[in-house]
Amino acid sequence: LPFDPYNTLVWAVPVLVVAPLAAFVIAISGVRTRRSASNTALFGAAVSLVATLLVAWGLAKRSAPFVSNYEYFNLSVAFNGPTNLQSFGMDIVLRVDHLTVFALLVVELCVIGALGWHRVMGRSEAGGARFHALASVFLFGSTGTLVSNDLGELFAFWGLTGTATYLLLAHRWGLDAPARATRIALALPFLTDLFLLCGIGVLYSRYGVQNHSNLGRSFLDITSLVPILHITSGATVKALVVASVLIFVGIAGRLALWPLSSWYTRTTIDAPAAASAMTQAVWSVLAIVVLYRLMPVFAASNAQTLRACLYACGAAAVIAPLIALVTNEPRRAIALAGSGVAAVGAAVVIHGFENAGFTFAVAGVACVLAAALARVAGALAASGAAGAMRTDDLNEMGDAWRRMRASAVALLVAALVLGLSATGALAYSVSSSSRLGLVLGEAVLLVSLASLRIFLAIAIGPLRRRRAFEPDRVREAAGSALVWAYVLALGGAVVVAAALVHNSLDFLDAHQHPVPNAETYLLWVAVALVGFAAAAIAYSTNKYGATRATTALGAWANRGASLAMRSAGRFVVGPAVAIAGGTEDWSPRRDDAMGESLLATGRFVIVLSRAPAIAVAIALAVLLAVTLALVSPGVFR
Amino acid sequence: MVLNIVASAIQAASPTPGPVTVPGAGIFSSSLLLSIMVWTPVLVAAAIAVLPNPRGRFDLLMKQIAFFTNLGLLFVLWVAYNQFENFLPSAQFEEKVAWLPAIGVTYHLGVDGPGMLMLILSGLIGLSSVLASFGIRERVRSYFCLLLLTEACVTGAIVARDMFVLLLFWAAASIPLALLILGWGGPRRESAAWRLVAYWGLGTVALLVAIMGLYASAGGTTFDMDVLLKIALSPRAQVAIGAALLLAGATRLPLFPFHGWVRDVYSEAPVGVAIVIAGSATRLGAYVMLRALVGAEPIGAQLLSPLMAAMAAVTVGYAGLVIFRSVDLREVGAHLAMVPGAITMLGLAALTPLAIGGSVLSLFTGGVVGALIVAVCAVVTDRAQSRSLYVLSGLAPRMPNVAWIMVLAALALLGVPLMASYPAEAMTFFGSIRTQPVWVFAVALGLAVVAAGLALVLHRVLFGAPNPDAPGVSDASLGETWFLAIMVGALLWVGVFPNGPKLPGTDTPIFDPGLINTMAAGITDIASPYALKS
Repeated sequence: LPFDPYNTLVWAVPVLVVAPLAAFVIAISGVRTRRSASNTALFGAAVSLVATLLVAWGLAKRSAPFVSNYEYFNLSVAFNGPTNLQSFGMDIVLRVDHLTVFALLVVELCVIGALGWHRVMGRSEAGGARFHALASVFLFGSTGTLVSNDLGELFAFWGLTGTATYLLLAHRWGLDAPARATRIALALPFLTDLFLLCGIGVLYSRYGVQNHSNLGRSFLDITSLVPILHITSGATVKALVVASVLIFVGIAGRLALWPLSSWYTRTTIDAPAAASAMTQAVWSVLAIVVLYRLMPVFAASNAQTLRACLYACGAAAVIAPLIALVTNEPRRAIALAGSGVAAVGAAVVIHGFENAGFTFAVAGVACVLAAALARVAGALAASGAAGAMRTDDLNEMGDAWRRMRASAVALLVAALVLGLSATGALAYSVSSSSRLGLVLGEAVLLVSLASLRIFLAIAIGPLRRRRAFEPDRVREAAGSALVWAYVLALGGAVVVAAALVHNSLDFLDAHQHPVPNAETYLLWVAVALVGFAAAAIAYSTNKYGATRATTALGAWANRGASLAMRSAGRFVVGPAVAIAGGTEDWSPRRDDAMGESLLATGRFVIVLSRAPAIAVAIALAVLLAVTLALVSPGVFR
Repeated sequence: MVLNIVASAIQAASPTPGPVTVPGAGIFSSSLLLSIMVWTPVLVAAAIAVLPNPRGRFDLLMKQIAFFTNLGLLFVLWVAYNQFENFLPSAQFEEKVAWLPAIGVTYHLGVDGPGMLMLILSGLIGLSSVLASFGIRERVRSYFCLLLLTEACVTGAIVARDMFVLLLFWAAASIPLALLILGWGGPRRESAAWRLVAYWGLGTVALLVAIMGLYASAGGTTFDMDVLLKIALSPRAQVAIGAALLLAGATRLPLFPFHGWVRDVYSEAPVGVAIVIAGSATRLGAYVMLRALVGAEPIGAQLLSPLMAAMAAVTVGYAGLVIFRSVDLREVGAHLAMVPGAITMLGLAALTPLAIGGSVLSLFTGGVVGALIVAVCAVVTDRAQSRSLYVLSGLAPRMPNVAWIMVLAALALLGVPLMASYPAEAMTFFGSIRTQPVWVFAVALGLAVVAAGLALVLHRVLFGAPNPDAPGVSDASLGETWFLAIMVGALLWVGVFPNGPKLPGTDTPIFDPGLINTMAAGITDIASPYALKS
């Protein structure tokens, strides 16, 4: 019988989700050494990758997605009222289409690359078994998020990935700086996750549970929700606007759009390099895919909401790379440049749903996917250089082109991919003369400038001798680690190239895309090239002048940020904590005073009980008479 | 009398007819199942009290008796859980005997879905508290007597279907607890015990007022819940009785501003006692409100619901903010333990079927999470020989087992997926957003503040740099932390299998019918006045 790979999807799709979970269970149940933990995690990720490739093969010639359904729980809560609100349930609905498979491949490559790097370069990290076990949970949550089609299920996987992210970023136990830095990695994303939860809650409150003949009972299945957005009784545009805004903030938090990017920009140095690189890249993929899937809800709200989201993305797209330009920590600068690309991608996705005739939204997703691979490659290569040069300051780095050629080349490829990643998306989506085109073009210019600047600062110029640092001892990173940076950077380059071809976009979303003309392509490539050229000119003519300028500007920016933080602490957090603390201190005093007054009352009663009854009765009668007289009309009133 | 009850229980045991759907359903049945659960701890406590124990020679035996009593009760509970008819709205395993006919008091017990959930919670917490108390060295006999009496009171209050009986068990629970704190607590135990008695006494008075109001409305003929909770009262009377019930519930849960006992009690009580208080005794506050306010006074509940939701939101925010200035880890745990109760209250305040379902599930999850967070803070302070956050630092590398449990407790408190608190929190939020949108967002913001506070505590205590001047630290083995493992296991089990484990493609549960299925019995009945409109 001819082998039809589509028939394997019934088990391949669950396997690609469950394989990392199985690796985690094996890891926590018996694996103790770093090497075996690494092998287990890599094996789980590799199985997931193989299953994804099988799924990709199975779906290659089919445009319809594959869907399977498993019941998680359901509960009847009422026998009256609207039928869609009489029950509540969450099903594990696994939905895989071309875009999902593509995103899955990117995520798995990012995780495998980071783990492969960490296996060699993270040898000295304590808690290797813990790291790899958490990485398996992270991959499990990520794959689950991508294949989820039920909003409750989606949030469950989303939250699980968030938990694993926090624990990965807080991996360095026993050191104060990482522990301090990761505080925000718990608090800020948790806040934005709550926004997402509330947004889903608003949708549930209007649409309830949907029943499907093919899926069974499911809570807010995305595919089935879209057609009923405007025909469900009780659903209003206002509710959709509220839900859209909440969901956007929830997604923006994990997409790390400025100013919600601090949860990973603050941890880039203190967290293990692999953890930081992996989490920032994978989250950008998850968030952009979820945004793309939920965009029909946004589109159903109103034009102003879409416009507001677009403005937020546009602002983030410009400001994040602008800050990257004045940041002298290479990994943080790469993270911010990547945040800029993510914002450009999100803007393209949102713009793609502004008009029913537009089909280019998927180009925004492709742009973020390409940048994700480059982000991991760049962060890992920069981390290797920073480790070898014993500094995280671009001012003190240099000469990598001579001393660490392979790392420098990896960084260069990553920077180029990062700068060019939005080219295809912009060519398909915006006119260069529109306001949006100007803003996003400016963002691309800044991203390319900021990303190449990192390479130039590390690669050229002398590497100076410092206290307890001898430049001649700088050695290239191990080849077995660098190969992963190369694989990821080249993978990103392939995705960038594919995003320029309309057939690949047609394949991803099963829509026909009008082909932009060559001038449009050239224009957007030229924008990125201008950014690269500006960086090259500035750093090749006067590297120290350029770094001094960015240092000075960075100091100003840091002062501004510190001032804002101090002001928030002084005028918001401080008073709130003081009020709560004062109440906490006052509470026992209040109780004590009340107890003492009760005690005094009791003593008074005892004294009264011993007093002559007639005298007490007369005194009470007099007291009562006086009181009544005072409150009677005519005396005071 | 007691022997007669035991004998009739044994005689009544017989195989259940009909098809066996899940294991445990056909082992035995008894018309006195609930009485067995309530009175067995009392009988064992009495037996322990009269057992000779010269110079503490049989201390270990006392502990073992308490442990196996709880284990046996858990087995009986498992049987009852599997025999429970899911989706049947009326009370099950009912027992009804006239007690004081002159004033209409009956010894009436029964349990529905929410009650069964509370019983499971009480059983798990009881076992955990006994295990956590194995380190008690002084006056062991008295300690376990009082602990078993406390468990009996809590179970009695859960299964009581007569308001008078409920009041008795409700009020009685505070006495052994206060004595336990007074006898085995920390340096400020006197203050803690008196505060507990005062606040819970205030709540008891409020509950008494509410019950007397209902009793008077019923013509002074009966205290039976089946009658009292079905009387049609005027809106004014409903608000008055509802306010009294709110006060009773708020002092016990506790909610701001009736939380004055929390800090002292949780930080001074022995670990086992703190587990019982945070786990099951305090949940009675929400349970009574569910039964008597939400389930019986719909107009009163609707009028009071903004106040209830506001109290929930303020409690969460307050607990989060206070953590920032706490310097005592056990006080941090005490304030964190207030959060699950507030989530439950939000669900009750929302008055939608889904939110009520969420609040019922959060009775269980909140109890376990509250007990876990209080217990793990106590264990950390015990093992690290200090309670000060200035001293406790960087413990994770030196006590990884306890550190992981503390991290899991923190995540469960925040409602992270795969923990039982996630479905409860999601149901509560989704159900509340339509009727109490502002307070839902306020609670969400409060939870974010709690997350920030938790991040601070985890940084200081676990992940930061170790303090070289701190006393010696040792990790706990699994044997020493069984009581924590039970609670973590319960949270994970319900989080992963809320519907019970099933083979893929089938609807038959393997051995656990699922907490969600069990609690459904009764919720539709309670929620029927609050059906949403399109």
